[in-house]
Amino acid sequence: MKTGEKIKILYIDDEQNNLNGFKATFRFDYTVYIASNTTLAYEFLRDHSDISVVLCDQRMPDKTGVQFFEEMRKLYPDPVRMLITGYTDIESVIDSVNRGHIFRYIKKPWTDHDVRSAIEEANKFYLTNSMLVEKNKELQSAYDELGKFAYSITHDVRGPLVSVIGALELAKEMDNINELRELLGMMAEAVRKIDEYIKNTHEYYKLKRGVLQFTAIDFKQLMGDIGAIFRIVAVNDDINFSWDVEQNGLFYSDEISIKMILNNLLSNAFNFQKKAESNKMVDVKISVKDNLAEILVNDNGIGIHEDYVNNIFTMFYRATSEDTGSGLGLYNVKDALNKLGGKIEVESKLNEGTIFKVTIPGNLHGTK
Amino acid sequence: MVIDDSKLDCFIAEKIIRNTGKCESIRSFLQARDALDHIAANPVDEQSHTILLVDIQMPIMNGFEFVEAFEQLPQEITRNYTVYIISSSINEADLNKVHNYRSVKQFLNKPLTSNNLSVLLG
Repeated sequence: MKTGEKIKILYIDDEQNNLNGFKATFRFDYTVYIASNTTLAYEFLRDHSDISVVLCDQRMPDKTGVQFFEEMRKLYPDPVRMLITGYTDIESVIDSVNRGHIFRYIKKPWTDHDVRSAIEEANKFYLTNSMLVEKNKELQSAYDELGKFAYSITHDVRGPLVSVIGALELAKEMDNINELRELLGMMAEAVRKIDEYIKNTHEYYKLKRGVLQFTAIDFKQLMGDIGAIFRIVAVNDDINFSWDVEQNGLFYSDEISIKMILNNLLSNAFNFQKKAESNKMVDVKISVKDNLAEILVNDNGIGIHEDYVNNIFTMFYRATSEDTGSGLGLYNVKDALNKLGGKIEVESKLNEGTIFKVTIPGNLHGTK
Repeated sequence: MVIDDSKLDCFIAEKIIRNTGKCESIRSFLQARDALDHIAANPVDEQSHTILLVDIQMPIMNGFEFVEAFEQLPQEITRNYTVYIISSSINEADLNKVHNYRSVKQFLNKPLTSNNLSVLLG
């Protein structure tokens, strides 16, 4: 149930007069479904999964209210059940609680006030329960990810760390300064890998726990800032780097997410270049129109093998034996896009290059 | 022969092995698949014996997948090799898994040192 929506309730009674009276009294405050028998009641439950409260008369010709609740609980466990009855014998009360797991027991003749407060209470109970289910799901997925993290730390952090320890031991015995320099270079790379892993973990955390902040994004400015950083790498590694931005109209989105997406796609394009290629290239095209941003990142690098291309957004997956990458980058990108309602497509040929295409719908307004 | 996706670990292993002076030749592979292809295509001569040091955690084909594929090769080839798993893993599941492979002689912890290496080189 979304906030502001009316509470949906279902009332079952074999006497049409009771049904009509009930609906007339409560239809302004609640969405009321009425059923004169349990068959009809099941149809409503099937078609409206968001019914939160079910009221049922105890004495009906085909079955008692308790019997109905006992059955219904197995098929539709979520709606809160309340029994309405003229009976006052203690046996039926005990029965309804034990077998029908009812939330409240309303005595006939009921007063508007009693029913209203019972419905409000029942709905609160329903909302708390649904929230609990939702929270449990979140908790489970957080636990699963924690497990993956613990595993990846022993591999992706301990791995390079142990390499460095081994290298240090080796260095103690080395006399040749050139060999030592070569070893130091490789040790630096291993340490940088750990640093990269930590930075990505931080990004992952920011993304998971953070709240999106929608502001007007100026892609020309944004790409200019990011481009300036990568230009240095481009000059160093002799890569032809170009970008083109065309933006029509305001575009509201979360700047941190967009920056993270661009940063990751660009570092992949720069990192996975072919070493022997004499004409290395990375090209970015961004176009914004009709409140939709399209980002194309194109490179002529090593590409992705078709067997692995479907796995690249999986947490900690690495599709290449090239010595870089934490396996978190594209997972973070995908996660951010899920939050923004965007999507990512990839087109890649091994040894020829890769094109990533990201589309993001703009938010209608900024965060207030 | 060393099979490890980390260039640094290959470098360390090569250096240490060379320093022992007990090996005729040494080769490193960054990708397990390349090593497998090499082993399958080049029958070793009967006189020499090759020790394989295989890392576990490698992208594309990991150490376990390599060992499984290696065990499928004809026996005339595999009997000339002794396989050691070498890893920085402290994960119990990984360590236990090593025992499932008949071709794996032993699990060695990284980093490789001249001490634990001289044991297996005899």
